[in-house]
Amino acid sequence: MNKFRAILYDSFLEIKSGKMLYLYGAVMLIMVLIFILVPSIKINGENLFESGILSPGMITRGMAHFFSGFWGFALFLMVFGSAWLLPAYLGKGRIELTLSKPISRMKLLSMKFATVFLVKISILALMSIIIWLAIALRLGAFSMQFFFGLFFSFLVFANIYALVFFIGVLSRSGALAVMGYFVIKFSTDLLAGRELVYGFLGDSSWKTVLDTAYQILPKIGEMDDNYISLISGDGFTNTYAIWTTLAFSAIIFLLTLLIFHRRDY
Amino acid sequence: MSDQTTAIQITGISKNFRGTLRGNEVRALVDVSLAVNHGEIFGLLGPNGAGKTTLVKILLGALRPSAGTATINGHDITTAAARGRVGFLPENHRFPPYQTGLQMLYCFGGMTGMSRSEIRVKADGLLELVGMSQWRGTRVKKYSKGMMQRLGLAQVMLNDPEIVFLDEPTDGVDPIGRHEIRNILLDLKKMGKTIFLNSHLLAEVESICDRVAILDRGKLIKTGPVAGLIDVRPAYRIETTGLNVETAQKIQDVYPGAIIDDNRIRVTFDDPLQVNGLTDLIRECGVSLISVTPEKISLEESFMQLIRESKQHE
Ligand SMILES: Nc1ncnc2c1ncn2[C@@H]1O[C@H](COP(=O)(O)OP(=O)(O)O)[C@@H](O)[C@H]1O
Ligand SMILES: [Mg+2]
Repeated sequence: MNKFRAILYDSFLEIKSGKMLYLYGAVMLIMVLIFILVPSIKINGENLFESGILSPGMITRGMAHFFSGFWGFALFLMVFGSAWLLPAYLGKGRIELTLSKPISRMKLLSMKFATVFLVKISILALMSIIIWLAIALRLGAFSMQFFFGLFFSFLVFANIYALVFFIGVLSRSGALAVMGYFVIKFSTDLLAGRELVYGFLGDSSWKTVLDTAYQILPKIGEMDDNYISLISGDGFTNTYAIWTTLAFSAIIFLLTLLIFHRRDY
Repeated sequence: MSDQTTAIQITGISKNFRGTLRGNEVRALVDVSLAVNHGEIFGLLGPNGAGKTTLVKILLGALRPSAGTATINGHDITTAAARGRVGFLPENHRFPPYQTGLQMLYCFGGMTGMSRSEIRVKADGLLELVGMSQWRGTRVKKYSKGMMQRLGLAQVMLNDPEIVFLDEPTDGVDPIGRHEIRNILLDLKKMGKTIFLNSHLLAEVESICDRVAILDRGKLIKTGPVAGLIDVRPAYRIETTGLNVETAQKIQDVYPGAIIDDNRIRVTFDDPLQVNGLTDLIRECGVSLISVTPEKISLEESFMQLIRESKQHE
């Protein structure tokens, strides 16, 4: 427990010292300001949100779309904010001392992952809840389903971070981790629309290749589909994307542990 | 604790690094075996690139050996337990730059299993001891190399280790800092700690180490007490006038180890009486002697000599 707390403290200090925190804060502030100002917009001399033009259902749906976009963007920022953490941790002159502590390498890396995850989702939760409160207080739309969406965003982050973490251990480069993440996200977004090109591919083995690649790779873009339905109260829409992404993340996480276990530092 | 007297037992450790090009493997350690007893100050001595850092990093789990095994306090080095009661000051370390000195102690002390209150109790005294109290709240990135080294030493002692590994502890430290670091090591020795000290400076180890091993290009050349390890042979500095080339050649033929520079000759003998032979030779050639000064060959030179000899044997 002391060891976990020490690693958590270190992860917290490192994330706190980064410039990303200001960016998160600025994004949150802008969102809050928007929601404070938007309800004052007048249509035909009447206040938009008091006129009854918008039904509560419409507001919830709007909120669902907003948060879907917001989490997509916030997690995009978090990729940048967290990709360099592990390469820095493994840097020459720094990791040797850490490895000399009485913690097995598997536990060390798992704890590093868990602590960065905890600090990052705390920031995400804080930003989201403050914006949600601004919306709730100004628009009177207390959607508790928002929390399902929030928890789901944690899950999405865990998957993204597992990928960035993997490339970070493999390459020890934050830049490569970011690039790798975008290459994989972009490819699966493209592969999701692979049926469009099936017409041009006479050879069926190509279809098998594309299909297999799609099944295996994490579907981070498609996981985002679930935010809107979750907040709207419709549950998950794309469970297939979730399970296959989780399976991929679990496997690369184990692979990361194995690589780290054998590496020379 | 299988063996009460052996703190560190190294058995046949080898390490090969794969080079950047195919086939050019670096053999950083070749079948190294040695034992360090409890309470002993052990110096691992060798020129840069000898493999000292590699050996310590293997012992502390940062590198995996290509062959061989080792135990610390009777625990196999592949287990976390081997690193339980150990302190380590790595070479060229870079502590997390965003931490203050005190935060650094909390983070690395906590990783040894200490609670925050245990660390709080010890940190003050240790920062005082290494002269870093006033910098406790300053971020590590503003520290000089010497300050980093002092903080590193406080960190080493934090968990009250039984065995301390120090890799070039005075590297990049000014003379006053060196002296203070040496005093800290002597304090540790008084406390009965086992110290494993890596250094390329003989002067650093000879003054405090009980036993020394000399490592050169991955191989252990010698192990033993400092005094017996390096024989101190008598050397003489001879000054002449009008030393010509032929005479210099003659001297060189009879005394191949002689270093001749203009009118100065420096030579080492196995027996001090041999100096008479040389002075006779010089006079026979009609060259006048100005002075003959005995000189003790320094440990540093004997050390270099030993390394040179080991190269010639190959
Ligand atoms: N990670 C590495 N990859 C390749 N070669 C290495 C690596 N680390 C050390 N070496 C080589 O191993 C040898 C021993 O290095 P080192 O243990 O640092 O020596 P010392 O500490 O005695 O100066 C050197 O030739 C060095 O170049
Ligand atoms: Mg070294």
